[in-house]
Amino acid sequence: MTEPAKPGTNGGEAHAKDDLDRRDFLNEITFAALGIAAVGSAVVTYRYLSPNVLFEPPTKFRAGTPDLYPVDTVTYLPDQQVYIVRTSDGFYAVSAVCTHLGCITQWKPEADQIACPCHGSKFNSTGVKIEGPAPRPLPHFLITMTLDGELQVNKLETVNMKQAFKV
Amino acid sequence: MDEKETSHETGFSSDAKKNPQRIVFITRKTSAKVNGEIPGQVMAYPHLLLRESIAFQVLIIAIVLLALAWDAPLEQLANPLVTPNPAKAPWYFLGLQELLHYFPPLVAGILIPTLVVISLVVIPYFNVNVEGEPMWSTNSSRRLRALLATLAVLEIFLGVFQAWTVFVPTAAIGGIAVFSFFIAPTSTGLGRYLRSRAASWWVMTWFICVAVVLTVVGTFFRGPGWSWIWPWRGHAG
Amino acid sequence: MATTFQDALARLRETRVWKSIFRRGPALTNRTRSLAVFGNLFFHFLPVKVREKSLRVRATYYLGSISFLLFVILAVSGVLLMFYYHPAVPQAYRDMKDLRFVVSNGVFLRNLHRLAAQLMVLVVFLHMFHVFYRGGYKPPHEFNWVVGVILLLVTLFLSYTGYLLPWDQLAFWAITVGTNIISAMPVLGKYVRFQLLGGNLVGENALLRFYVLHCVVLPLAAVLFIAVHFWRVQKDGGLTVKGEDGRKGN
Repeated sequence: MTEPAKPGTNGGEAHAKDDLDRRDFLNEITFAALGIAAVGSAVVTYRYLSPNVLFEPPTKFRAGTPDLYPVDTVTYLPDQQVYIVRTSDGFYAVSAVCTHLGCITQWKPEADQIACPCHGSKFNSTGVKIEGPAPRPLPHFLITMTLDGELQVNKLETVNMKQAFKV
Repeated sequence: MDEKETSHETGFSSDAKKNPQRIVFITRKTSAKVNGEIPGQVMAYPHLLLRESIAFQVLIIAIVLLALAWDAPLEQLANPLVTPNPAKAPWYFLGLQELLHYFPPLVAGILIPTLVVISLVVIPYFNVNVEGEPMWSTNSSRRLRALLATLAVLEIFLGVFQAWTVFVPTAAIGGIAVFSFFIAPTSTGLGRYLRSRAASWWVMTWFICVAVVLTVVGTFFRGPGWSWIWPWRGHAG
Repeated sequence: MATTFQDALARLRETRVWKSIFRRGPALTNRTRSLAVFGNLFFHFLPVKVREKSLRVRATYYLGSISFLLFVILAVSGVLLMFYYHPAVPQAYRDMKDLRFVVSNGVFLRNLHRLAAQLMVLVVFLHMFHVFYRGGYKPPHEFNWVVGVILLLVTLFLSYTGYLLPWDQLAFWAITVGTNIISAMPVLGKYVRFQLLGGNLVGENALLRFYVLHCVVLPLAAVLFIAVHFWRVQKDGGLTVKGEDGRKGN
C-alpha cells in the first residue's frame, strides 16, 4: 500500500508551483465531469418538476360585451375574483384579492367600498386604499377588446391605476 | 483462568483486602493468544469507497442509456370486465405461473414457494457444504445409486403430472451429474471441474436451471389460454 | 488554473465553518482515512479496512453493491414520480399518460424507474446465487444470509406492489392472478387477500394500499434490513475471498 501523494508534490520530483501533475489533472477532469453531470441532472429535474399543464382557471378571460355593465357600477366575477368597475371614465378590471395577505374582498354597495373581512382593509370602488393594513391599492388588470366586441381581461398584465379602458 | 474443580479449600483467607490473591490453575497447555492483523487489508477509504463510486457511475451511465432507448409499456386502462389473454404475471413470477399449469394452486402457488424459501433460509444452519468436498469423494457408488433413485422418483412424479417443463431440465442436470461420476480423475478443464462439484452445488444448479427454464417458457413459449406457442411463429402449435 | 483551485480548496478547508462540519481534516493519513469511514454516520456500516482481494471485480462482481445502488436509483426516481401520481382510480392511469406525453422528461424517468426495478430483482437473485456458490453463507455469516433472503422477499414484494400502480390492463390482471394465488393459502388465505386488497376485488382500496406499501412500508423495511445486512458483513468479519480462511470454496 503506497501513500497517495500529497497534493502539490510529484513523487519527489521538484517542480514549479503552477505545474499540474497528471494526478491533479485527472482529478480536476473528473470533478468537472461530475459537476457537469450534477448541474445537468439538476436542470433536468427542475424542468421535470415544473408542470407544463395546469388545471387552474385560465388567466385570460372574456368578460362579455361592454353594455352588460351600466355606468357607475361595480360587478364582481366570482370565478375570476375580479371586479369589473365602470365609471364615466371607462372600465377598470380591479383585482378582488386583498394586497395584505390574500383574502377575497367584498364589494359593499351601501358604503361604496370594497372591504376585506380578514383584517379590515377598505378600498374605494376603483381599488384605492382608504384604510387598513393593506400596503398597496388593489391592482388593475389589462383590458382589451376582442374582435367580436367583448371585453377581455388579462390577469397577468397590470396597468396604471389611473388608466381606464375607454369603449 | 481455570479453577481446581475438587475443593475450595485453599488455605488462604477469603478476605480479599487482607490477602489479595489471584490464582490461576492452568489445566492444559495454552499459549498466549495474540490478535494479529489480518494480512492483505487496505483502507476502506479510499480503496473501497472510490471503487463503489465508480461502480455507481458506470451503473448510472448504463441504466440512463438503456432508459433513453427502451420505453416502458402502458396498455389500456384497467378493465375488470375484460381479461386479456394471456394474463401474465411479472416475469419473476412467470416461473410460478408455469408451474401453476401443472399443479394445483395450493401446491404451485403456496407450497412450493414456501418450501423454496424455507430451504434457502436453512442452508447455512445445516452446514451445507462447509468443507466443500466433491460429491464423488466418498462412497461414490452408493451415492450414484442414491442419485439415480432420487432422479427416478422425481422424474416419475413429474411425468405423472406431465410437468415436462420441469422434467426436461431435471433430466439434463441429472444426466450431467451421473455423467460426472464416470469422468476420469486425470481429466482437465470442464471435466475436472464437474467431477469436483459438491452435492449442494448440484442441487442449487438444478434449482436455478429449473427456475430459468420455467421462466423462459412462461415468458416466450406460452400464448393465449396458456397454450404452447413457438415464439418465432407466435401462434398455437 | 490548477493550483489556484487547490489553494482555494485548501483555504476553504481551513475556515471555521468547514471545520465545524467536517471535523477530521483531509484523508491523508490512515487515521483520517479510518475516521472517514468510522466517524461518518452514513459510512460506518462499512468496515475501516477491507481485504484487498475482495475488491477485485471477479470476487463479488460487485453484485451486492449494484443491488444497493439500484435501490438508491429507485428511491430517487420513485420520489420524483410521486410528484405527478395520484393513487386513485382512474386518475392513476391518466397520470401515467400525463407522465408520458405532458411532463418534461416524464418518459425517461418512468423508463428509468421500471428498468431499475426489473434489474434490481435480477441482480438480487444473481447476488444470492453468487454468495451461495462462493460459500458466503457459512458460519459466522449464517444470519446475514437469512437477512439476505428477507431482503429478496422485500424486493419481490416491492416490485409486485409497484406493478399495480400504472392501473393498466397489464397491472390489473397481473395483480388479480397474484392475489388469487394467495387466497389458495390454507386457513389464512382469504383473510390475507382481503387485507391486501382492502376488499374482495382489485379496486381503489387495493390501489391505495399497494401505493402505501410500495412507497412507505416496504422502502422502510428495505432500508432497515439493508442496514442490518451491511452491518453484519462488517461484524461477522468482513468479506472473505475463497481459500483465504483455509476453507475450500465451492
